[in-house]
Amino acid sequence: MHISDGVLPISVVIGSAVASLAIAAWSVRQTDSEDLPKVAVVTASFFVSSLIHVPLGPTSVHLLIPGLVGVLLGPSSFLAILLGLLLQSLLFQFGGLTALGANALMMGFPALLCGLLFNKLRGRTQKQHVIVGGLAGGGGTLLAAALLALLLSSGGEDFFGVAKLALLAHLPVFLVEGLVSAFTVSFLFRVKPELLGQRFSALQQG
Amino acid sequence: MVDGQVVQLPQALLLAAVLALGLVSLLALKLLKSYLSGKQSAQQEPDWSVPVIDADAAGDSLFHRWDVRFKLVALLGFALLVVATRSPWSALIAMLIAFAAVVLARQPLLRSLKRLLAMSGFLGMFLLVMPLTVVSRPEDILLLFSGLEFLPFNLRGLQLALAISGKACAVALLMEPLLATASLPRTVEGLTRLGVPEKVAQMILLAHRYIFVFLEEARRMTTGMQVRGFRPRTSTETLKVMGNFLGMLFVRSFERTHRVYAAMQSRGYQGRFPAPFYFKVTGGDWLHAAIWLLLGVVLLIFDRSGVV
Amino acid sequence: MHDLLRLPPIDFDGPAQFEIRNLQYLYPSGQQALRGIDLSIAAGDRIALVGQNGSGKSTLVKHLNGLLKVQQGELLYQGQALAGEHLRRARLEIGLLFQDPDDQLFCSTLYDDVSFGPLNQGVSLAGMEPLVRQALASVGMEGLIYKPSHHLSYGQKKRAALACLLAMKPQVLILDEPTANLDPGQENILVELLHNYQGTLICITHDLLFAYELCQRAVVLDHGQIHHDYRMAELVAHPPSMREHGLDFSFRLAGLDSHQLPEPQVAAAVPLVCVADKSAEVATSPVVELSDYHYRYADGTQALSGVSFALRAGESVAIVGENGAGKTTLLNCLMGIHNGSGTHLFNGRELDKQQRQLLWRKVGMVFQDPADQLFCASCAEEVAFGPRQLGLPKDEVVRRVDTALERVRLAGYQERVPLHLSGGERKRLAIATVLSMEPELLILDEPTAGLDPQGEELLLEILHELPQTRILVTHDPFLVAQLTQRTLVLHRGKVLQDYSTADFLADQNLQSLNLLALSYKSDCSRQILALQHQHEHSHLHQHFHEHPHRHGEQVHSHAHEHAHEHDHVFTHTHGADSPEHCHQIRGRFHDHSHPGHENEEHEHEHPDD
Repeated sequence: MHISDGVLPISVVIGSAVASLAIAAWSVRQTDSEDLPKVAVVTASFFVSSLIHVPLGPTSVHLLIPGLVGVLLGPSSFLAILLGLLLQSLLFQFGGLTALGANALMMGFPALLCGLLFNKLRGRTQKQHVIVGGLAGGGGTLLAAALLALLLSSGGEDFFGVAKLALLAHLPVFLVEGLVSAFTVSFLFRVKPELLGQRFSALQQG
Repeated sequence: MVDGQVVQLPQALLLAAVLALGLVSLLALKLLKSYLSGKQSAQQEPDWSVPVIDADAAGDSLFHRWDVRFKLVALLGFALLVVATRSPWSALIAMLIAFAAVVLARQPLLRSLKRLLAMSGFLGMFLLVMPLTVVSRPEDILLLFSGLEFLPFNLRGLQLALAISGKACAVALLMEPLLATASLPRTVEGLTRLGVPEKVAQMILLAHRYIFVFLEEARRMTTGMQVRGFRPRTSTETLKVMGNFLGMLFVRSFERTHRVYAAMQSRGYQGRFPAPFYFKVTGGDWLHAAIWLLLGVVLLIFDRSGVV
Repeated sequence: MHDLLRLPPIDFDGPAQFEIRNLQYLYPSGQQALRGIDLSIAAGDRIALVGQNGSGKSTLVKHLNGLLKVQQGELLYQGQALAGEHLRRARLEIGLLFQDPDDQLFCSTLYDDVSFGPLNQGVSLAGMEPLVRQALASVGMEGLIYKPSHHLSYGQKKRAALACLLAMKPQVLILDEPTANLDPGQENILVELLHNYQGTLICITHDLLFAYELCQRAVVLDHGQIHHDYRMAELVAHPPSMREHGLDFSFRLAGLDSHQLPEPQVAAAVPLVCVADKSAEVATSPVVELSDYHYRYADGTQALSGVSFALRAGESVAIVGENGAGKTTLLNCLMGIHNGSGTHLFNGRELDKQQRQLLWRKVGMVFQDPADQLFCASCAEEVAFGPRQLGLPKDEVVRRVDTALERVRLAGYQERVPLHLSGGERKRLAIATVLSMEPELLILDEPTAGLDPQGEELLLEILHELPQTRILVTHDPFLVAQLTQRTLVLHRGKVLQDYSTADFLADQNLQSLNLLALSYKSDCSRQILALQHQHEHSHLHQHFHEHPHRHGEQVHSHAHEHAHEHDHVFTHTHGADSPEHCHQIRGRFHDHSHPGHENEEHEHEHPDD
């Protein structure tokens, strides 16, 4: 779920924009400058995967995958997410342009955190990779939902109801994301483990 | 326990209101859907299409002729000022101004309508939930329906939600005049002239370009799974296949990044994209931008002073 | 043992454009990709770089414009190593056409893509538009100048990518599998363009017919080494050395032998009789039948209009047509992925929407690109995926996996990772994933795309063994002849022709319709066949000469006596209607030259004929 224009108080809009600008600048600096085009191309695939719907009972949910992006891109993930959200806003009006900073914080911060944790805890065995990957995937979504609720609540007491609802709506997604991420990590571990190293240069040769 | 002025209403009214609202929205949705889908009514397959951002780059209007840098600053500035307003009436005025912009830029309403529709879920949540969950204040008007006393309907909540929806719609309406009236590369080049680092700006174009490539790949892979009998269900098996699918998509995209980068290098890429654009500023650009920003500021002043 | 004494095959004076000495390359994985490459390329050379998949062709080419750094050895471009400013300049002079045009069209519109290179070359903005227009016009796409690349068809993308290079006026043009996935019409356009190109041409390809047409020199790579450096004509005239490098496509030529119709190869004779025999009973229950079938895409494009045909059990039918003729759409309809309007019968019963959803149980499809079909982490899982969806018991699934893998010659591959297999293996795996579902109807979309001739031959062998009713979609007349008895010609969503494959292959109208440019291919084929034919008459004779040669890994050079088989041009003809390869041998010897060792002694006389 993306925040649209006009929901957040103007102070939060500006504050979050400044904050995500700072983090994005840091994220750019963490990325090898010659890898920036590569991050852009990979972002396109994240964009596409976020369009995929997974059936859930009578309805279907679409994936947010902040955790998975973090797992794959590490420090560059914030940049990728900012880019992806910008394009979603431009193309589909998913999330407002003025709320881009807030949306980027909400999805990008969990990505950074999950990426870091995954890198620290992934260990060597497939089992550990899968468990940590699943936790990162699910945790990313949960954290994003919590941040969404927090941002919505910044509008004052009046918004608590909506914030709670938004948080609740993400709970089933959390489970789906966790499992899908675990399966994805397990697939990558067997097929192309270099991808889990969060570095482009490590996989120069395909 | 409940503050505010309470207006007691019979349950029948609620029923009637809900029914009327439901019918109207159902009808509207039906009409909209048939309008949007137009010729493609026979389609049952999932729609993978991605809209074109710069659909009308070759057109001509006030907005087409406007220098993109001024357009970006003015319209985004206006959007920010709109977002800062509070009352639903300012939002309404902003919506009207934005609508006028769509007309002036000669943009088809259909595309703007699609944008509004994309937000309907999110805004619908506000419209439904806020009147029921906002904190009651002494000056609020609460509607209480007999039999449903525990669920007061707060008009201030409705007002808030309407203001939010109005602002969201106003900004969304501005998107078509802002984005569709110049080619995307030109808009992005405008961004770099405004101080966005060139490399980052180029990333927007690259990511945008490859969305279409990966969509095509994803579509073929989905077909591949389909012909081997895969039907998504609510099951771990489905999630596992999805996991593999995403993994494969990522592997392919990572492999592609290297080929794309090699292709760029082979044509002399040295870390920067050459920009094939001229920019020329006229007095009209300044004037146009000034008008928009002024409009925004006036709107905000009126809003804050409580006139509207 | 390899004869190495054929360098340089084309005389050139002046400095070499590329000078490669003892180039080695080791992948980070430790795999040796190139070992001791020595090659000099003159300006204006036209080289076909051939060899099996994985022989190091792409790696070598990536060195030529500095995409890969020289690890060991030396590579000079115009006398200097590729580094710094020289590398930058070299890249602007060397055009590299990638296999997948989507890799190369990375900008938002064609204009931006084409102008990217020239702008890097420092061409001013003012002169840009005419330059871009000219480049696009040369590939016949001037009207699409402001189109985003994702609106183009595959063939158009390929040409656009070439235009991007031509706009830079490259002195060297390197092409990586330029004809992959192009229909013959598109291929012809490409050949014509390349014919007119004046600079150095280096072309990686499996399509020796294409190479034969364009190149004078053939460099054969094998396991990272240059095994031959021939004149093109010499290479194709020498089936044994082609065979050794998995390049022997002579099997493709067999059918074209001197006669217009590849009659001996068309399996038509037997099956056609079958059809005639059984027509009375079979005709009543075709496996699939479409009548007056229409399909329109969401965007309003009419992809199929009024398609009608029936497919009998055990029949093999080819569907041919230009890119965009609606072939893929038709397949998707047959699979039940798309739902068109009109009658669609399967096994004699009309299908409604729900039943179309179940068609996957009966119909199997092998995609053009196996990457679209393979998404599991092991071959066993991959092949088991379909049977599992069918709800089969576990031991049955295992049994089917084993049989299917065995069928495609991949027995024992159960635990291998599909992504790590070679192109040919992946293709066969994709076929196994479909076979394990035991479909009644098997659809093959360009089954040999991207395979080297050896892989192609193996695939054909496998396909010949399959009993299923088959639909084959291909641009390759040879495959049509080999695998099918009947051919449907699709053109703009309509079935233009539905006749026997023999009739199709003899049909001259198709060429005038520019549907399938067969004539060019068969011309080349016949020329090559003639060359091979000449060569079959070389004979052994003894003489001395010094002669570098290879025993396995060892290369040495000393004079010794050995049996040496000459190439010599022995021009002779036989009547076009002669079915056999018979010609009079006019004595044991005929006049021929001894290139490279004219003055050495020979143990045979040269009668003046």
